[in-house]
Amino acid sequence: MSANRGGSENTGDSGRNPAPMQSGEHKQKQQEAPKKAQIVPVFIAFLFGAAAAITFLYVYWTTYQTMLMGWTLGLSLALFGVAFVLWGHESSLGKEVSQPREIPSSDPKERQLVFEEFYPPGEGIQRRRLLAVMGTAVAAFFAATVVSFLRSFTNPPDQSLFGEVWKSGDRLVDTDGKPVPNNALVTGSTMIVFPEGQVGSVHAQTVLIRVNPADLRLPPDRSDWAPMGYVAYSRVCTHAGCPVAEFQAESNVLLCPCHQSTFAVLEGARPTGGPAARSLAQLPLYAGGDGFLHAGGDFSKKPGPGFWRI
Amino acid sequence: MVVRPCLVLLLFLLLTLAPHAALCQQPASGSTPAPTSAPAPGSAQANAPASPPDGKALYEQHCVACHGENGEGVNATISFAGPPLIAVHNPATVMTAMEVGPSHMPQFGYVLSVDEMHAVADYVTQNLATLSMQGGDLGKGGELFRLYCAACHGPEARGDVLAFVGVNPPSLATTDGPVIAGMIRMGPGPMPKFPPGVLSDQQVASIVDYVQYMQHPEDPGGSPLGYYGPVAEGFIAWMMLFVIIGICGWIEKGGKG
Amino acid sequence: MIPEIARALDARLRMAKFARKALDHVFPDHWSFMLGEIALYSFILLIVTGAYLATFFDASSAKVIYHGSYKPLDGVKMTAAYQSALHISFDVRAGLLVRQIHHWGTLIFIAAIAAHLMRIYFTGAYRKPREINWVIGLTLLLLAILNGYCGYSLVGDELSGEGLRIGYAIALSIPVIGPWFTFIFFGGQYPASETISHLYMLHIFVVPATIAVLIAAHLGILWRQLHTNYPGPGRTETQIVGSRLWPTYAAKSIGLLLLVFSCITALAGLVQINPIWLYGPYSTAASQPSAQPDWYLGWIEGAMRLFPGANLRIGHGLIPELFFSGALLPAIVFGTLYAYPFIERYFFTDDESDHNVLRLPYEHPFNTAFGCAAFTFLLVLFFAAGDDIIAVATNGSVVTIRTFLRIVLFAAPAAIGAIAFILCSIIRRRRYGQNA
Repeated sequence: MSANRGGSENTGDSGRNPAPMQSGEHKQKQQEAPKKAQIVPVFIAFLFGAAAAITFLYVYWTTYQTMLMGWTLGLSLALFGVAFVLWGHESSLGKEVSQPREIPSSDPKERQLVFEEFYPPGEGIQRRRLLAVMGTAVAAFFAATVVSFLRSFTNPPDQSLFGEVWKSGDRLVDTDGKPVPNNALVTGSTMIVFPEGQVGSVHAQTVLIRVNPADLRLPPDRSDWAPMGYVAYSRVCTHAGCPVAEFQAESNVLLCPCHQSTFAVLEGARPTGGPAARSLAQLPLYAGGDGFLHAGGDFSKKPGPGFWRI
Repeated sequence: MVVRPCLVLLLFLLLTLAPHAALCQQPASGSTPAPTSAPAPGSAQANAPASPPDGKALYEQHCVACHGENGEGVNATISFAGPPLIAVHNPATVMTAMEVGPSHMPQFGYVLSVDEMHAVADYVTQNLATLSMQGGDLGKGGELFRLYCAACHGPEARGDVLAFVGVNPPSLATTDGPVIAGMIRMGPGPMPKFPPGVLSDQQVASIVDYVQYMQHPEDPGGSPLGYYGPVAEGFIAWMMLFVIIGICGWIEKGGKG
Repeated sequence: MIPEIARALDARLRMAKFARKALDHVFPDHWSFMLGEIALYSFILLIVTGAYLATFFDASSAKVIYHGSYKPLDGVKMTAAYQSALHISFDVRAGLLVRQIHHWGTLIFIAAIAAHLMRIYFTGAYRKPREINWVIGLTLLLLAILNGYCGYSLVGDELSGEGLRIGYAIALSIPVIGPWFTFIFFGGQYPASETISHLYMLHIFVVPATIAVLIAAHLGILWRQLHTNYPGPGRTETQIVGSRLWPTYAAKSIGLLLLVFSCITALAGLVQINPIWLYGPYSTAASQPSAQPDWYLGWIEGAMRLFPGANLRIGHGLIPELFFSGALLPAIVFGTLYAYPFIERYFFTDDESDHNVLRLPYEHPFNTAFGCAAFTFLLVLFFAAGDDIIAVATNGSVVTIRTFLRIVLFAAPAAIGAIAFILCSIIRRRRYGQNA
């Protein structure tokens, strides 16, 4: 039993704080009506609140300017609130009231009587068992149905999670659908590209950057992926999927604005800081005979954030 | 009475100051060192060339070091040396810049005569300003801005949102339109370049229109809290909760729990 | 007139006896007991403003071209949902005010729940017989956060669109069941056009209805069990001390309701929140910095920023780093909170008695120390969510701030917990002597 830090009797602690009244006592006190002077602040607050409310209604019906409406409405509500609180202060008479608490649990005899409604002593064990089994079966059926109905909300996780995005030979196009010529970028510039026919695709969005070819440090098996210093990476961050939209030209770093992951553009978009654990998918490029840039195949891996079967 | 001596004093001051005021209106040489009065200590007036000054030669002598051979701007490591001039179509802008010497630019009022400065301004606006700022569309500008620029400069172009390795994309709240246009092409410091193959002149003009709008947005909902977004909003919400808790303290004053 | 109506009702409903008992109901007086009320009144405001907004909102992901009154977005392609939100903000009379009241109201609603939670925790009000209300209260917090997330993601602006993308990635990162769970909740592969219907159904109906029912249960249990008292004169396990419902408590409560409304409304008129027109409509190829969620998800955002790039390969399966920060951490936090009263009772205090008098924080040093440490941990995560803003404000680099916060994340809770424990022990010893 936790200790009662205050007095356990209703006499208050050595008379410093007067004892709280029993709840019946308040009726006698109620006969003393609060003096008129104490109602005045309540009335004044109410009056100003009403004035503010009328002003609000006026503003609403005329200019309905947001800030003015907010001010006037807020002010009127505040003043009305103050009026009520002041009324509460006056009416409380500064006295506390005491009441007995009931024990949370029921009288054991009552509980037993209820219990015996469902478990009558001695009789109908078979019937009870049957009821229990039926109840469980019905509940299980409903649960299974509700869960199954969730299936209606979607098609199963499909190939779109795993499928191809770029195909070998696809021309790179810009956000307006125009193919990207070999001289579109200068060193230190960047643009957003898509496979031809998939402009705006979330999963195929790719960032094209032109760097100094001599600075590239790609893995050996990707040495022919960057013609004329053009490199292309998936724009979908491998951490949580935000577009990696920030490019720092001098340090050749791609930054994701969501959680500040950084990727080294010259080294195959290897993660160099922040929470991303895997590099951005890289797209092999080649300069086509038609003067435009083409993809040499799909991304080096599935773009975007990781999941169980990626 | 105190009034009469004061009136006399006032009259005296007015009479003595009035001639000064009248004189100051005239651009007399040597009266004040105002840049517009073209003092030109002797040299220009003494030589008084018969032919008009060569804007191109003057430009190459005084401006190329900071503004580039073709007005493309000069790229120092983190901050730029001089902004690009490729979008400056207004000669008055050039004149003011040479006279006032904004930011790190020196004042040229002492070095060049007014005619020489006019020549430079004409050269810049007629030969170097190759980026047409016509035909911008505000809506398209917004789309392009959000696609290419917002990631570093913030959706309200206030910058100051990512200090990474000491690099901070600047706020564009007070940047002039022609400078913005030039920067897009130039890509100063860590900013990438956007050549015509990526953004056409008209697209650049659209972006500039949008940025200029963002310099004075409407903010109909009230104070924008510095455009810091949900972090600032959350902070204010907790401050207001503390206010409300304070109100609760007043409501329950004297309550012992 | 009112006595006539009351008499008529009573003639049909036999209310007098119940009314007498109800009016006599005692509520203890302390400002810390009003935190739950702040949340309740904010919720009422949310329902009212929400109904207003739902009248104009069009929960559709159909693409439209905007030609409305906000010129900088003229000609821009956007969803019908975003367009309707712009319509509310610029064309509907008092629309922007109501939208801002709704959003500020949410932030304060959840802040009040959090403050209320901390009060309950540090005073031991979750002990028997109030464990049920503790569980209900935590569920209310969870649902409120969920509803907030669904609500601001409905609009389809750039900022919340990024948040949806991140939520999608977190759901996907759950091992084994990730893809199925994600597809069911969001309606398909990202970005599914069904997502907005799911969010809308949850946000305006299922979750608010559940919250309302749970609040009713929460208050009903509170009514039945009577509120707790702080230790004091006359306050015992068998006597409650406070003010009667009528007139005192009712007056103060109505006053508080109006004042909470007024504070939120004043905020909505003074300070702009979520200016969706500045962010622009969500575009899958664009992203923006200051990409933070609303404050109540900041702890998860901070965890996602601080957690290092370490994923786990188990055979053919990958558990990505996002799972640990985005899914596992929240599960651990809420799991601990849910289990706390039971863990404390069955493993530590072995206390089977009822408690109607609160336990002051210094009376149980471990509880207070653990709580201080845990809330400090969460507070550091909240700061981490704004690490880019901190970096700008201090002219430092995000990398440095991140490393610093990673250290502080474990050092600060340990230090604060130790200090709290020592302080509580000292105070306790002073008050009750060496044998306490």
